[in-house]
This record gives sequence, structure tokens and C-alpha cells, in this order.
Amino acid sequence: MRLISKKDFSNFVNALINDDSLNIVGVKAKDQKFSFGPLESAGDLRLDYDVTLLPPKKYFFPQRETLFGYSLSKGFVAEKPAETKPLILVGVHPYDIAALLHMDEVFKDTKSDPYYSERRNKSVIIGVNIQKICKNCFAPQMGTATIDEGYDLMLTDLGNRYAIDIGTLKGKNLLAKYAKNVKTAYTRDIQLVGQKEHEIYAKAQQKLDFSPDRIPGLLEKNYEEREFWEEHAEKCLACGSCVLVCPTCYCFDVKDQPNLSLNKGERIRTWDGCLLEDFAKVASGENFRATRLSRYRHRYFKKGKYLFDRFGFISCVGCGRCSSNCLPDIANPVTLFNDLYNYTLEKGVKVGPPTSPEVEIKTEGNIDFVPRVAKIVKKTPMTSLETLFEIKLEDGSELSHEPGQFVEVSVFGVGEAPISVSSPPTKKGSFELCVRRLGNVTTKLHSLNEGDLIGIRGPFGKGFNPDSLKGKDLLFIAGGLGIAPLRSLFNYVLANRKDYGKVILLYGCKEPKELLFGEEVLSLEKRDDVEFKPTVDWCPEGELWDGNIGVITTLIPQVDFDPQRTYAIVVGPPIMYKFVIADLKERDVPDDHIILSLERRMKCGVGKCGHCQINQIYVCKDGPVFNYSKIKGVPEAL
Amino acid sequence: MMKPKVAFFDFAGCEGDQLQVANLEEDLLALLGKVDVVCFREVMKECDEDYAIAFVEGSCTRLQDEDRLKRIRENAKIVVAIGSCATIGGINSLRNYKNLDEVRKTVYGEKAKLFDTYEARPIDAVIPVDAYVYGCPIDKDEFLHVVTSLLMGKKPDIPTYPVCVECKKNENVCAFERDQFCVGPVTRAGCDSCCVNEGTICWGCRGLVDNPNENSHKEVLIKYGLTVEEAIGKFKLYFGWQEGKK
Ligand SMILES: Cc1cc2nc3c(=O)[nH]c(=O)nc-3n(C[C@H](O)[C@H](O)[C@H](O)COP(=O)(O)OP(=O)(O)OC[C@H]3O[C@@H](n4cnc5c(N)ncnc54)[C@H](O)[C@@H]3O)c2cc1C
Ligand code: SF4
Ligand code: SF4
Ligand code: SF4
Ligand code: SF4
Ligand code: SF4
Ligand code: FES
Repeated sequence: MRLISKKDFSNFVNALINDDSLNIVGVKAKDQKFSFGPLESAGDLRLDYDVTLLPPKKYFFPQRETLFGYSLSKGFVAEKPAETKPLILVGVHPYDIAALLHMDEVFKDTKSDPYYSERRNKSVIIGVNIQKICKNCFAPQMGTATIDEGYDLMLTDLGNRYAIDIGTLKGKNLLAKYAKNVKTAYTRDIQLVGQKEHEIYAKAQQKLDFSPDRIPGLLEKNYEEREFWEEHAEKCLACGSCVLVCPTCYCFDVKDQPNLSLNKGERIRTWDGCLLEDFAKVASGENFRATRLSRYRHRYFKKGKYLFDRFGFISCVGCGRCSSNCLPDIANPVTLFNDLYNYTLEKGVKVGPPTSPEVEIKTEGNIDFVPRVAKIVKKTPMTSLETLFEIKLEDGSELSHEPGQFVEVSVFGVGEAPISVSSPPTKKGSFELCVRRLGNVTTKLHSLNEGDLIGIRGPFGKGFNPDSLKGKDLLFIAGGLGIAPLRSLFNYVLANRKDYGKVILLYGCKEPKELLFGEEVLSLEKRDDVEFKPTVDWCPEGELWDGNIGVITTLIPQVDFDPQRTYAIVVGPPIMYKFVIADLKERDVPDDHIILSLERRMKCGVGKCGHCQINQIYVCKDGPVFNYSKIKGVPEAL
Repeated sequence: MMKPKVAFFDFAGCEGDQLQVANLEEDLLALLGKVDVVCFREVMKECDEDYAIAFVEGSCTRLQDEDRLKRIRENAKIVVAIGSCATIGGINSLRNYKNLDEVRKTVYGEKAKLFDTYEARPIDAVIPVDAYVYGCPIDKDEFLHVVTSLLMGKKPDIPTYPVCVECKKNENVCAFERDQFCVGPVTRAGCDSCCVNEGTICWGCRGLVDNPNENSHKEVLIKYGLTVEEAIGKFKLYFGWQEGKK
């Protein structure tokens, strides 16, 4: 540990400010409150602050940031956003450092977010131990009131001097280069620091009635307690304040912002939050978290259970910002968890001992937010709403997808949408997308012509894994547009027909004119190695239809299969699953023989933006294809 | 590409929004490169009846207005409501809380009987509207965003969440912590919380969000010290028509 007088510390900060190659940010006063902002002089620093309005995450994951600029005058050219100067943050409290360490895990899970990690790697964190504690802070309860990692330098105010704990070599070098009169600390100073750190724990005004390691278990027991949740959630304004100010919230939205010339613009990302009404709403109008209750509850589960299951930490550092910013006063985690704890006790339910989940975070490369350029080589209208697009990557490479995977399709200036690849990987040179015209991206895509350029990211997600199905009998069940992803597997199986047992396809849509891939599927009736049964919900008078009439489930009793040998592959609109699964269960199909593909709102496609989340699952990364046995216990899945 | 013809119309309002458009300066020049303005009350005299996009400002306050609006609807492919008055009824709908005869008398004095004014309403109460530019006055950037989107054939991206979202991103100290009272939590965002950024409050000029939790917000206003009457009053300034519809 080192010591520096306050005067020398000011000189140190001023020396940093005077170096134009650095960006120095620190805590300053802002209308009776505090915030991180650019420092013009060491005199502006307020290291005696209680809490800042926004956490320092805004420097690593800004409110709005450019993912890339684009120009369309010569096809599509992406420009990387300008480099930023190395950032030195002065005065970060331990709980905010803990939160950054959480964010690091999230942003590097599976694939690393290059924007975030570049800024993080280039930054220096100068922490400061808490001197005043904000009235809503419960960091001491969460074990984040002090910290021994995550900083380059850590200051403790000792009256006329600061004790400095050196956390990294980077911190040490910074001190050596810019600070004067730094001395080694005496034992009594080290003791004083320990004493100061200890005192913080006694200062907290918010107290949990139980140990925080029991939060995940407590939540798990109470997911279905609607009455409890409703009582709290009914006051929610859906204002998002609780998540926007949270140092561990990372959800974002992605949009295109064309400029007035229309052939230039930017793709940006902005903060988003699960408390906002449309967070989980999709183009068809369905909202997967439509009620205040479901959104309100999601946040607590996200903090206390889902991220715990995934990363092994409770994703709340106890800064108290959410409590201070919720006008109806329902966002305070301490109050909520205490209420829930007492509610549980009153009901005589026992909350089990703390568990520790198995955590395995791997990072394989970086996320690339810039799409590859691709050309529409063929456009085949199929129904009044759906068109089949044949796409070729401009660099001549293969998409190399697995059946069931999806791509993020960019229409430049409009945005991105996830679309399943509907051709099998056995088709070489190009791939196909079957797209329904619904909202902005899909409508604009329909207006493009053969020869026009689009962007492709991916393939993403987990597909059907056709190898695992080898030798099995397959029962394909498709409802409406569900045929699009299903076709990639179905046609793959046909191309490798000898590897698979019996093959049945049941396909239903609303009325004959909505039948997708009409000729292709109807020609299946001629094959003797495939059993094919189409159905329509109804057939308007005057139209020709000699197949079944009735919903898709009316076909299931019409086919014969051995449930032990058969794998059912089911893809359709959300409401279809419940009924189809019930009927399959009736026929004794084991849970793990049912395979589904789920749909949710998506933005990033790579497990970062939070939109596609169902309880602890990310549909874009852990799915969209799931084995039913893995998701049947997941309450929001079906 | 043929430049789409654009027209601007005004009803009961202050024409402040057309002024905003006229103030766009360089952006207006760039915009003029993309469109052909055939009717613009602030800057031209003659008006052409052939236009693709009609921007309508002001609220509908008389039966006669309805015919004019319907004609605009017939002529235009796209109708865009601009400003508080046209999008949500605006301040004009304050008078919806008063006895209409009294309103007529205050406004028109002795001649009151000659004018058949009725409850002020947004134009989508009379004709279907394709896009909205909210605000009193409108925000230039948002206006440009709406125009750019329409030119590209996409639906403009107008927030469905409340002003607090932008206010938090801007790291403002909340009005309630400054002993002031704000209707940001129920008001549609999109203005970048500009009034709060300037140290004041949100008055609600962009109208209610689609699904506001008004009861909860009234409780908040009362909890922070307003009387019930005052809390209700906070909702009257801009939300007259939207509240009345419920
Ligand atoms: C894994 C997966 C595979 C899909 N495969 C197909 C397919 O093969 N064919 C097809 O026509 N549609 C498919 N969809 C649905 C398709 O993604 C949406 O219809 C599309 O995103 C609507 O975008 P939009 O811009 O036209 O609509 P808008 O309403 O303007 O939506 C704006 C944005 O919200 C998000 N969004 C909206 N709806 C959805 C949705 N249903 N799913 C995910 N994100 C959404 C997107 O980011 C979209 O750009 C799939 C969805 C998922 C999740
Ligand atoms: S801050 Fe409070 S009112 Fe606002 S979204 Fe969060 S819980 Fe709801
Ligand atoms: S949930 Fe609340 S207390 Fe916990 S880290 Fe987020 S803002 Fe802070
Ligand atoms: S989903 Fe999680 S990270 Fe995203 S806003 Fe909600 S609580 Fe925060
Ligand atoms: S000042 Fe108004 S808009 Fe801003 S956070 Fe407070 S209530 Fe919301
Ligand atoms: S802050 Fe409120 S009053 Fe001000 S422009 Fe925005 S919506 Fe209108
Ligand atoms: S996390 Fe972004 S789409 Fe799944």
C-alpha cells in the first residue's frame, strides 16, 4: 500500500488531465447529486460522494453507440466507428467495480463484444472506498461495499492523505509516471484502511432479513405466486428507470439511422430494458411479456436467479439506484426480497439451502455486428404475404448452416430481422429464406428485386442436429410459416434418405391459398418413402382442396408410428405447441423425442441484447431448436 | 425517382410547427432535394391539390374542419399529423373540460352563436392518419426522421415508452427530487426529454403513452405533495382528448 498527500493527489490528477492522449473522467457534483463526467481540474473531483446518478457503465456500454457507419453508394461499405482515447475513471465505488466485473462476464460469454471489451481493455479504474453511503445502498449486504479486485488503483481517504492500494501493474505504472511524492504506507495506515472499510458495513440503512445466497432459492419457490407479484407490480409505470440506472443491466436495442441523403447512415445500439412494455413484442403483435406482472417479476428473476444460474453470481451489487429512481417505490430489491421472504415464511414454505450452479463460460472469438454482403438472386412469390428469396453471399462463400439455424437479414437503412434458413445445407452455392411480410424489415425486403443487395449475419443458434436423428423414424409437424425452418431439415433428410427410418410430414395452414412451397410439398404425395398429409383449417367455397380439413392436431390420429422409435419435430406458431404436444403425449411419445423451434423477439442474435430471453434461456443462442424435455419445466417457454 | 409532392395544412393551432419546419435551414434544403413542396402556408401563396404526403397541423375544432380534412385524406397517399394539436388534441382540448358555450363566449364574445365549435380533437378522430410527429412544438430531428422514414417506405420509429427513459439516459436529476411535479412517466418519449434537460419538467405535450398507468402516477403526484385536484390538473393540460376518450 502507498500513501499520497491530498495535494500531491490533486497534482497527480491534474497531470493526467494535462496529457491530451488520455480521457480523464471523474465524479463531480450535479445539481445536489453526483455524476461521472469529464474532469477539467482536480478541484472538480468529489470523492466524498454517496452515489452517482448513472453508473460508470455508460463509458463502456454507452446510452447510444454507433456499431458501424454505412454507405450505400457503392453497394454496401461499412465504416468502423472512430477510435476512442484510453479512459481513466477516477472515483469508482467498490459496488460499481463489482458490477463492471459482472458486465465483463456477460459481454464475453460465448462471443466477446468487441466494442465493450476494447473500451474496457483500454481503461484504467481508480477506485475509492465509500465515505458516505446513500440511504438506499445495501452493498454491504451483497458483499460489494469493499472489493479486492477489478481496480488498477484503490483510494481510501485518510483525512489529509489517501492510502492507495495498487491493483495492477497498469496502475503502478500510471502512478510512477504521473504522481510525485508517493510513499510506502505505514502499518498504522494499513490498519486505518481496514478500519475504514469495516466501518462502511455498519453504515448501511437497508438490511436483508436473510443471507443473500438464499435469493435464488427464494425466487425459485415463488415464481407462480401471482398474487404476491401482482400486488407489487400493479403500480409499475413501465418507465424503465429501475433498469436504465442499474450498473449490471445490459439489454439493448439495435436500429438503423439513415441520414437525409438516404444512402448513408449508421447502425446504432441504445439502452433498452425489460420493464418497457414492448421489450418482448414481435411483429405479429404477440407480446411474450405483455403484463406488468410478468415484466416486473422478470427483472427480479433476472437479477436473482437467471444470471445466477448462468454465471454463478447474483446480478445485483446493492447500489440502491433502482430504489432511488422508482417513483411508486416498488423497485427496491431489499424490500421486495424481505417481503417475499416473509411471505414464504408465513405460508410455511421452506427455502432450501444455497446452491452453487455449474458455471462454464467460454469465449470463442468476437461478435461481428457488420453483416456480410449478399445478393438476392431469385425472388419467388408464394402467397400474398410470403416470398421465397434465394440468396448468394457476395464473397462466394457458403453459408454452412445446420438445418434449423437462422440468419440476421439486414435491409440497409431499415434494420435487421432474424429469418430461418429454409434450404438444406446440401444445397450449395446459395441458400433460401421464406419471408412473411409483417413489419419494417420484412416489408422493405419484399420490395427489393433480384440483383439487390442485403446483409447477412450468421448462421446463428442451435439447429436440429440431423446426425443425432440418424436411424430414427421422423414425424415432422409444421404449422403455417413453421414449414420454413422445418424444410431445411426435411429436405436434408430427403437428400440423405437412406440414413433415416420412416418419414412422415404433417403440414397445416389456415386455407389452401396460404399453403407454402405448394408444388414442392404436394409432389411428396407421389413418393412412397414419405407419408405426407396436408390440412387446412377451412376451405372457402369455390376453392379446390382434397386434403384434410381441420386444425393440425386432427392429422395426428391419422398416422401410425412407433413412439419409441419416432422423433417428432414440431414447428409452428406459439399456440400450436400446447395442443400438438398434448396429443403426442397421448400417443406415448417420450418428452425427449419431441423437438421444437421457438420464436422470440430478437435483436443481436448472439445472446447479448436480452430480448429473446425466456427465463434463464436465450432463444438465439441456446435455441431456437430445443428438445422438449429441456424446456418443459421452463415456465415462459410454451 | 420522382420527387413526392408534399403539402402542409393548418387547422386550430399556432402554426408553430410549420415554423419549426421552416427553421430547418440546411436540412430543409437537403429535404427539398427529395420532395416537392406544393403547399406551405408559411412560405408560399398558391396551393396545388395534387400531393402525395400531407402534413396536417392543428386540431379539429369545428364541423366545417371535417370536410376539409376528408378532402385532404382523399388527395393524399400519406397523411402525417404534426404537433400536439393534430396528434393528441393538444392544449386546445383544455377547453373540453369547460362548458362549451362558455368557451364560445370567451373566444368569440357576442358572435358566439355563429360558430359551431365542438370538443377539440386530434385529426385521427376524423380521418385515418398514417404517421405522427408529436410535440409542442415538434422536434426538428424527429420531423426529419419521420420524413426520411416515409421516403424510404418504413414506419417511423416513434417510442412507445415514457419520457423517463430518455430522462434517465440523459442523467437528469428527476423533477420529483427537485420538489417539482412531472408527467414524464405517462408521456410518450421521443423529444429526448428536452424540457427536463433544461431543468424544468415534462408537461406532457407528446400525449399519453399507449398504455399509461395513470392511477399509479396520480398516486405518485399525491405522495409527493399535490392535492388530488392538482394531480388531476396535471393531466388536463395536454391529455384532455385522450383522457376523455376513456
Ligand atoms: C429464430 C427465428 C426464425 C424466424 N424465421 C422466420 C422465417 O423463416 N420467415 C419469416 O417470415 N419470419 C421468421 N421469423 C420472424 C421474423 O423474425 C419477424 O417477422 C421479423 O423480425 C419482423 O421484422 P420486421 O422488421 O418486419 O417487423 P417490425 O415489427 O418492424 O419489427 C422490428 C424488429 O423487431 C424484431 N422482431 C419483430 N418481430 C420479431 C419476431 N417475430 N421474431 C424475432 N424478432 C422480431 C426484429 O428485430 C425486427 O427487426 C423468425 C423469427 C425468429 C426468432
Ligand atoms: S422504476 Fe418502478 S415504476 Fe419504473 S419500471 Fe421500474 S418498477 Fe416500474
Ligand atoms: S438492481 Fe438496483 S440495487 Fe441492484 S445493482 Fe441494479 S440498480 Fe443497484
Ligand atoms: S433483462 Fe436483465 S439485464 Fe436486461 S434490462 Fe432486464 S434486468 Fe436488466
Ligand atoms: S423528471 Fe420527469 S421524465 Fe424525468 S425521470 Fe423524473 S418523472 Fe421521469
Ligand atoms: S419533455 Fe414533455 S413537455 Fe417537454 S417536449 Fe418532451 S413530452 Fe413535451
Ligand atoms: S440475446 Fe439478443 S437476440 Fe437473443
